[in-house]
This record gives sequence, C-alpha cells and structure tokens, in this order.
Amino acid sequence: MFEPPVQRLIDEFARLPGIGRKSAQRLTFHILNIEDVDASRLSDAILDMKKKIRLCAQCFNLTAEELCSVCADLRRDPTVLCVVERAQDIAVIEGTNQFRGRYHVLGGSISPIEGIGPDELRIRELLGRLDHEGVTEVIVATNPTVEGDMTAMYIARAIKPLGITVSRLASGLPVGGDLDYADEVTLGRALSGRQEM
Amino acid sequence: MHLAWLRLSGFRNYDSLEIEPDIGVNILVGPNGAGKTNILEAIAYGSKLRSFRSSPDESLVSTNAEAAVLRLGIERAAGEGRIEIELPRNGRRRVLFNGKRPQRSSVLAAEFPVVAFLPDDLGIVKGGPAGRRELLDELASQLTPTTGADIDQFKKVLRQRNSLLKQAGRSVDVMTLDVWDERLATFGARVLLHRLTLLTAMAPVLRESYATVSSANGVLGWRYDSSWAAGCTPNTPQSEAESLLREALLRRRERDMDMRSTSVGPHRDEPTFLLDDRLTRNQASQGEQRSVALSMRLAAYYLLEERHGRPPVLLLDDVFSELDIERADGVMALMPRGQVFVSSAREDEVPVGGRRWSVSGGTVT
Ligand SMILES: [Zn+2]
Repeated sequence: MFEPPVQRLIDEFARLPGIGRKSAQRLTFHILNIEDVDASRLSDAILDMKKKIRLCAQCFNLTAEELCSVCADLRRDPTVLCVVERAQDIAVIEGTNQFRGRYHVLGGSISPIEGIGPDELRIRELLGRLDHEGVTEVIVATNPTVEGDMTAMYIARAIKPLGITVSRLASGLPVGGDLDYADEVTLGRALSGRQEM
Repeated sequence: MHLAWLRLSGFRNYDSLEIEPDIGVNILVGPNGAGKTNILEAIAYGSKLRSFRSSPDESLVSTNAEAAVLRLGIERAAGEGRIEIELPRNGRRRVLFNGKRPQRSSVLAAEFPVVAFLPDDLGIVKGGPAGRRELLDELASQLTPTTGADIDQFKKVLRQRNSLLKQAGRSVDVMTLDVWDERLATFGARVLLHRLTLLTAMAPVLRESYATVSSANGVLGWRYDSSWAAGCTPNTPQSEAESLLREALLRRRERDMDMRSTSVGPHRDEPTFLLDDRLTRNQASQGEQRSVALSMRLAAYYLLEERHGRPPVLLLDDVFSELDIERADGVMALMPRGQVFVSSAREDEVPVGGRRWSVSGGTVT
C-alpha cells in the first residue's frame, strides 16, 4: 500500500483496459515526477474530450459536432452503409481507404451471456435509416467472433425482406479477434471480397 | 518436440522455479505433497490452457502471489517456441505464444501436444459420457488446430443459446433463437464429424494398444450414441449433418424453452468404449477398465506421434504404483521415444532410468 493519493491514482489506472498492476504503478510514478503544468495538460485533455465529444446524430460515430466528419462529407456515397460494432472500428476501416459510403455504429454485438439482445443495440435505428437515406447496400463489418457473426446473421434476416443487398466481410480476418487486430491489407481484401449473405 | 526449459512463479507451491529438463526421461521424486504433480500440471497447462486436475485458474495462484506466471520454452521442428501465461488472482488470463496473443486457445494444443497419464484416468472409463467427450475433443484439437477452433466455437454458441433460453424461456425472441440455432447446427455438425473421424482413425490403434496391455482376450472398440445423428459416418456430408441437428433443435424447441437449456446436440452425445459387445463403463472388471483407460492414452500418444511426425511430451503422474508388470510394460514401450516426465514418491517404483530430480518444499534439484 502506498500513500492514499498515490494509491488512488494507481487504482484508477489499473481499472483501464489492458493496464495491469505493474503498468499502473509505472504510470503513476512517472506522473509523480513530471512538472505540474504537464500534469494539468493531461487532466485537461481528459476532461475536455469528455465535455466535447458526443455521438453523431445519424450514425453514432464520435463527433464534436451534430454530425460526424463522415456523415457531414457530401462526397460520401449515402446508398452504401457499413455496420460496425464500435466507433473505433470506423477508424480501422477508414485506414484502408477502400470504403466511400457511410457508417452505422451498433454499440456492441448480440450476447445473451452479457444480457445484450437486439433491443440493446441500435438495430431499430439502423432499419429507420435504410428507408430515410435510400440505402441499397449494407456491409456488415462486425468482429469475426461468434457474437459478431451472430449479429451479422440477425441483421441480414431483418434487412433481407426490404430488398436491400446485405454482405459480410470476406473471411481471412483472424477468427475470434477484433477488427483492430486485422492489418489494413487484410481488411482491405476482406472489404473488396465481401460476400452476399 | 520437447520442453527445453520451464520457469514458474507464484504457481501452486512454487514461489519461483527454473528447470532445464533432459530431452529424454525425467524422474521427479519426492514425498507426497512436495509438488511433483504441480510441475506436470504446469507443463500440461502450457498445452491445454487448463489444469489437468480440473482446478479453476484462481486456485493455481500461490497464496502469497498476485499472479501465477508460467513460461515454457519448447523445441519443435519449426524452431524454438515460447509460451507465456499469466494467471492473475483477479482478472483475465493472458496467454502469449512467441510474444503474440494466439488467434485461439487451441493453437497451443497442436503446437505443443502433451499426453498425460493420471491416477484418476479410470474415471474416464467408469464415469459419465462427459469425460469421454472431453477426451475425444481434446485429442481432436491436438491433432488438427482448426478442429479445436470448431469445438471452441460450438461451446461458445451453446453457452449463448443456453443463456438466452435461461433468461427468456417461453418469451424468447424467435428470430434471435433462429439465428443461434443456425450457428449451433453449423458448428455442432462439425464437432460430430470431427469426433466420428477421430474414432474411426483411433479404432485400429486402440485395438492394438489394448492387446499390448492386456493378455486377456477381448477386442476394444467404440460406439457413438447420438439422439440426432443416428446413421452418420465420418463421410456424411456436413450439410446433411447440419440439417439433422437443425431439425432436431426445432423438434425440441418447445421443450428447450420450458427447460431453459439445449437438450440435443453433440454436447449430449454418448461415446462408449466396448470390450467385444460389453459396455466398459459397467460391464467390465476393474482390471479390464484399467487396461482400457491405459489403452486410450496409449492410442492418443501413437496418433499424435504419427500426425506430427514426432512424439508428444509424455507426463506420467504417479502411475507405476497402480500398475502391475504387464500393464507397466505397455507404458514402458513409450519410454525411449520422446521426452518423458515421471513423478513418483519412490524411485524404485519407476522401471526406467533417467535424469533424476528431487522435489521437496517448493524446490527442485
Ligand atoms: Zn455520423
């Protein structure tokens, strides 16, 4: 046990994903040794982001405006929609430079074990957008996990009756992983080789 | 294929341990409770990613440590490999193979195959079908990594479907259930075909192994009982097995909703070992059952050796005290083939020479 203020910061760091006890201690002792102004810049950055960032009114991507930069870009093709689990997946797909449509962020994948059913995701919002925005093709880019595949199949079944093409990223992505783990070349190949469901 | 070095910290009774075993026979000698089995358990964990004593991960962390860390250096045809596992007292397990997270946990089963003979192996013969299903699935994963992936996926889908039924029962969202059934049928059919393929490949090896460990007459064989896949063979097309399971799930749907769990599928199938036409589970003598258990492990060893072109690592946990000379000879036939770890309370019980390690109070010398 360290002095309470030190321990408090260690505990906060240790709650972050991917940070163990040892890393939390290392970060804390690093911050202990930096200048006050550097420490405030860090804490300001955290608060500033929390204050300014919200969800895009259309696709639920992260944004500081009403609409995110993708939705606000008039050159993007509104007839093709790429469905992802989380907002950070958008950055990964944008990195491939191969997709010119818009996105829809579900907010996760169907997982009864975690109490997440279709109603806990933004599937109803997705169906609403298809009609409004004249979408003709939906690409489901959920993670290549059991839950991601399951969510893709569920969406395909919900959309198919509307006469809209639904496709899934081609395999070749690492099974059981997240999109983050796929490199841009593999992901680009998966996008161009997508298969109709 | 062999273990070049093993480093443990905070694992069971080892605060810190580092050994470089011999590439041949290693004999761990020490009093009961000294930690001989813990070393074998650590080696097997590196392959199976679970305890061969079925202990939960938390119980592997020694009382005065935050986490157990297992590091294994392995020599294989493809060069050196490094397995690193961290089991924290609280939180998620971390596994690295050559510094990277393996794509799935079954990767190590095939990269570093291990066959363990354990004192309670008899339970696989005498006990319920779950132990025999597990034996088959584990061996199938060791033989082919993609098989392990199918089995893992099947288990995940099954857990999700059961969880859905448990929460919703009769009021379940039908479209969600439909989609889970679709996935369950796909992976369930694959698991069935993997098991049937394995049992077919295993049959002659099993028969031969039994003949070497038992002088009694009798032919060891198997039967696979399944309520949904009757008549399926290893050559049944995947799509056909899939339809069978899909239909069976639909037939049982009402009942599954009421019972709030999945009543049909490979997780309910019953593989049985037969001596001639007797069920070994309850129609064989204790001596015969012991020979059957031994034959299963021997067959696993021979199949893995044949598939990988090199023998797997062999772990013998205190097995010689239980075996008569005849059965011990069957095990001895494996001795010079590859790397072996034998644990025993009394060195004179071990009918083979090798590098001797003396185990006591958390140290090995
Ligand atoms: Zn947007």
